Amino acid sequence: MKISIRDAGEAKIVEVEGDVDLGTSPDLRRTLFEILLHAPKLALNLAAIRYIDSSGIATLLEVLKDSQRRNKEFVLFGLSPAVQQVFRLTHVIRIFQVFQTEEEALGSA
Amino acid sequence: MSSDPRYLPVVRGAIGPLAAAMGWDESDSRAITLALDEALANIIRHAYHNCLDGRIELECRETPEGLEVTLLDNGEPPDRTKICARAIACDQPGGLGTHIIKDVMDTVSYQATPMGNRFVATKQFRKPI
Repeated sequence: MKISIRDAGEAKIVEVEGDVDLGTSPDLRRTLFEILLHAPKLALNLAAIRYIDSSGIATLLEVLKDSQRRNKEFVLFGLSPAVQQVFRLTHVIRIFQVFQTEEEALGSA
Repeated sequence: MSSDPRYLPVVRGAIGPLAAAMGWDESDSRAITLALDEALANIIRHAYHNCLDGRIELECRETPEGLEVTLLDNGEPPDRTKICARAIACDQPGGLGTHIIKDVMDTVSYQATPMGNRFVATKQFRKPI
């Protein structure tokens, strides 16, 4: 799994590439929690994720809850059909703010 | 395999093509792969408590009805009261994996045997996911 981070105004865009599973989700969790400390908004690009399991979904839920506690914004975009399928199976899609494109995600505030 | 998450992608890389070769479409093959990956992850986390040197035996068998997967481990037996104990569609992390397994596979059983913990799941050809 590769994680890259860039600025978009005050927001941070995080791009994740590869597999998010039991072995890699702790790294993603650490990174997202750290970024959330320093930005009012975090947009996570899931377009290059080949695979995500329930530990990855649980990580995103934890980050979402932390963002709400800190009064910050955490949004997702670029979900591939494979990732959407896991969100459907875990019934959590409605809990997140999900957008198709980066522009839409950044314009959601 | 040992109970090391590094091997999960290796298993996923085998299960997906196996399901596809048996006739499931791409979406169903992905779902079957996810369900078995979740079962293995549960063993690593809950039976072996993330110790990397536990042993897991994985057997995939083609039957006239579909696919039968058996996982054997020698870790802590599963707590049946915690399997699918939490309602899904909730914003609490944790416990999602067992729901995925139950939703994707047609039958799922957990047994403690003299050989260790035995997880058996089957997927029949006919049921769309």
